[in-house]
Amino acid sequence: MKFAEQLEQIVKARIESDSLTLPALPAVAFKAIELTRAPDINLQDVVALIEKDPILAAQILRLCNSVAMTTREPCSSISQAVTRLGTKNLRTTLVEISARRIFESRDVKIAAAVKALWEHSRAVAQLAQRVAVVAGAADPDTAYLAGLLHDVGKPVVATILLEAESQILQRNARLWIDFSTWMDVVQRCHRPIGLSLAQKWQLSDEIQHAIQECADYDPGNRLSTGNAVRFANAVAKQLGIYAGAVNAEENDALVMVGRSLLGIDDETLTRLSKDLKEKSRDTA
Amino acid sequence: MPRILTVDDSRSIRMIVSKALGELGFEMGEADDGNAGLKKLQEGSYDLVVLDVTMPNLDGPGMLAKMRESGDKTPVVMLTSESKTSIIAALMKLGIQDYVLKPFKGDELKIKVLKALKLPADYASAGRAAPASAADACPSLPAATPSASRILVIDDMENVHKKVRSLVPAELMVDASLNASDGMGLCRANKYGLILVDGELPDSNLPSLTKQLRLLQPKAVLVALTLRSANNIAVEMHAQGFDDVLFKPFANEAVAALLGRCFVENQQLVSIQENLVQLAGFHGRDDKLEHYFVELAAKMKEVLTKLAEACFDSAVLDASFLPLSQPLRAGQFVAEVCKTFAETGVVLRLVGSSELATLVGRFEEAKGVRLFHSLEEARAAA
Repeated sequence: MKFAEQLEQIVKARIESDSLTLPALPAVAFKAIELTRAPDINLQDVVALIEKDPILAAQILRLCNSVAMTTREPCSSISQAVTRLGTKNLRTTLVEISARRIFESRDVKIAAAVKALWEHSRAVAQLAQRVAVVAGAADPDTAYLAGLLHDVGKPVVATILLEAESQILQRNARLWIDFSTWMDVVQRCHRPIGLSLAQKWQLSDEIQHAIQECADYDPGNRLSTGNAVRFANAVAKQLGIYAGAVNAEENDALVMVGRSLLGIDDETLTRLSKDLKEKSRDTA
Repeated sequence: MPRILTVDDSRSIRMIVSKALGELGFEMGEADDGNAGLKKLQEGSYDLVVLDVTMPNLDGPGMLAKMRESGDKTPVVMLTSESKTSIIAALMKLGIQDYVLKPFKGDELKIKVLKALKLPADYASAGRAAPASAADACPSLPAATPSASRILVIDDMENVHKKVRSLVPAELMVDASLNASDGMGLCRANKYGLILVDGELPDSNLPSLTKQLRLLQPKAVLVALTLRSANNIAVEMHAQGFDDVLFKPFANEAVAALLGRCFVENQQLVSIQENLVQLAGFHGRDDKLEHYFVELAAKMKEVLTKLAEACFDSAVLDASFLPLSQPLRAGQFVAEVCKTFAETGVVLRLVGSSELATLVGRFEEAKGVRLFHSLEEARAAA
C-alpha cells in the first residue's frame, strides 16, 4: 500500500472510530458566546470576561479596527468594541479568532499551506457575505462565518497527518510523501472533520451544511448560505486565492452555474471580488 | 436580423424563450428535441442556439456533441434546470457561451444571448438600426441613467417620507421604505442617486447597513437623517459610514443644497438612450447654477462624441427641465450645443418650452434648429 493511502486510511479510521481530538473553542470565547446568547444578556459581564484574556481582548480590538471594518474611528477599549460590534458580530468575531488559531502551525512543512488556506477562507468569507447581500440571501453574517469555516477541517487533518506520518516514518524511514499528495489527502478527508468541529462548536445548521458539501449547488434553495459559500469558494479559486490543486474545468462550471443561480452578473461579480486578494491578506 | 433556435421539450418554455427574444427583434425557430434541433440547423443557418439539457430522443449534450463533431460552431446558451457541476463542465468543454438556470428571468436570458452574439446591451432599442453582423456592430451607447433622478428614503416614520416628497422637485422619483430589509429589497431592484437613512433606524446596525447599501448601490450618496441631538452627531454619522447628514426637521434650503451636491456635483446631469439626450434639472442654490452649466457643457461634448461613434446622424435634445432662472445663460448654453452639433454633422431636434424657444431664437448659432414642445412631436418629425 502506498504511503499516502496508509495515511488516508489512518485518518479515516480515526474519524470512523470517533477517536479524534478536535480543537475546542477556547474557554473564554465559549463562555462569552454563551453569555451573548442569554435572553437577559448583560454586555458588561461579556466585557469583563473578555478582559480576563488579554490575548483574546487584543485580537478582538485588532479585528474590530481592521481594514474590513472600515469607516469608523478606532476602538480603544473592549467595552467600546463590544458595544460597536453588537452581540451577533461579537459572536462571529469570537468564532473567527478561535478558528484563526486552528490555521496556525509551528511545523514549517504545513505552516505556509495553512496560512494560505486561512487567506482563502477569509476571501471566501468576505465574498460569500457580499454575494448574500447582493443576491438577497437571508443572513450575510452567517454566510461570512460559513465561508470562513468551510475548510476548517483541513488544518485539523493536516495536523493529524503530521502525527500519522511521524509514526509511519519511525517504522520505515524510506517512505516520504510529497506536498501535493499530502494536500490531496487533506482534500479528501477534511469535510467530516470540519463538520464534527462545527457541531462541537455548536454552530448553526446552515454553517454545518455549508461545510458538509461543496461540490454542487442546491438549486431548490437558490439563496441558501451553502450556495453563496460554494460560489465564493469557486470564485476565490478562479482568482488564485487558494492552496492546493484546482480542477479548473469543474471550478469554471461552478462559477458559471453560480452566476445564474444567484443572479450575479459579470459587472457585479467584478465589483464584489476586485479587492478580495488585498482584503484576505490584510486581515489574515 | 439574427436567427435563434430554441431547443426544449417543453412547449411552454419554447414559447417563453421565443417571446422574450422575439421582443429583441430576433427571428425565432423551435425544436422539441436534439434530433429536431440538428435538422433545423441543417435546413437553415442560425446565429445562436438556446439549448436544454434533458430531452427525449437526443438530449442537449448529445445534440451539442454532434454539432461540434460536424464542425458546427454556432454559439450555444444552455437553458436548463440541470446544475450538476460535472455535467456543466462537460458542456463547457464542448463549447458553450453561457448558462441560464431554470426557472429564469427573461432579462437574464436576453442579456446572455446579446453577450453571446456580441451585440450591445441596448440592442433592443438602439441596435435595430445596427448591422446584424456582430463584427459590424456600432459601439454601444451607455444605458439611460435612472439613478440620476431617483431617491430612496429608509425611515420608520411615514411622515418623513411625505416630507421628503414634498421638498423634492417633481422630476426626482422618491421611493420609501419603513425598515432596512425593505430598503435593501428596493436597492436590489432599482438604482438610486441618493439614499436617505434614518440615523435612529430601529433594529438596525448602521455601520453594517451602510456597508451593505454601498455594496448594492456603489454610486449612491448615503445621507443620515438625524436630530441635532449632540454636537458631534455629524462626525458620528460619518463614522457610521454616511457621506452626509440632513438634520430633522428638514429645512427647504438644506434639502436644496443636498440635492445640488448629489445631483450636480456628482455630474449625473445627462441621460442618453438611443439618440435621445435628456438634460437633468437643476436642484441646487442659485450660486451653484454656473457650475451646473459648466458641468453640463462638458458632459454634452462626451455625449456628442458617443452619438457620432454610434453612427447617429440626428438626435433629440430634451431640455424641458433646463433651468431658465438666468435666461441669457440658458440660451447661451443651448446655442453652444446647437453649434457643436451642427459642426459634427448631427442634426438636432430640440424639445423645450415656448420660453426656451424664444431665448434660443436670439442666438445666431441656433438658427435652423427645430424646436418641439414634446418628445412625441420631436420623434414624429424624424
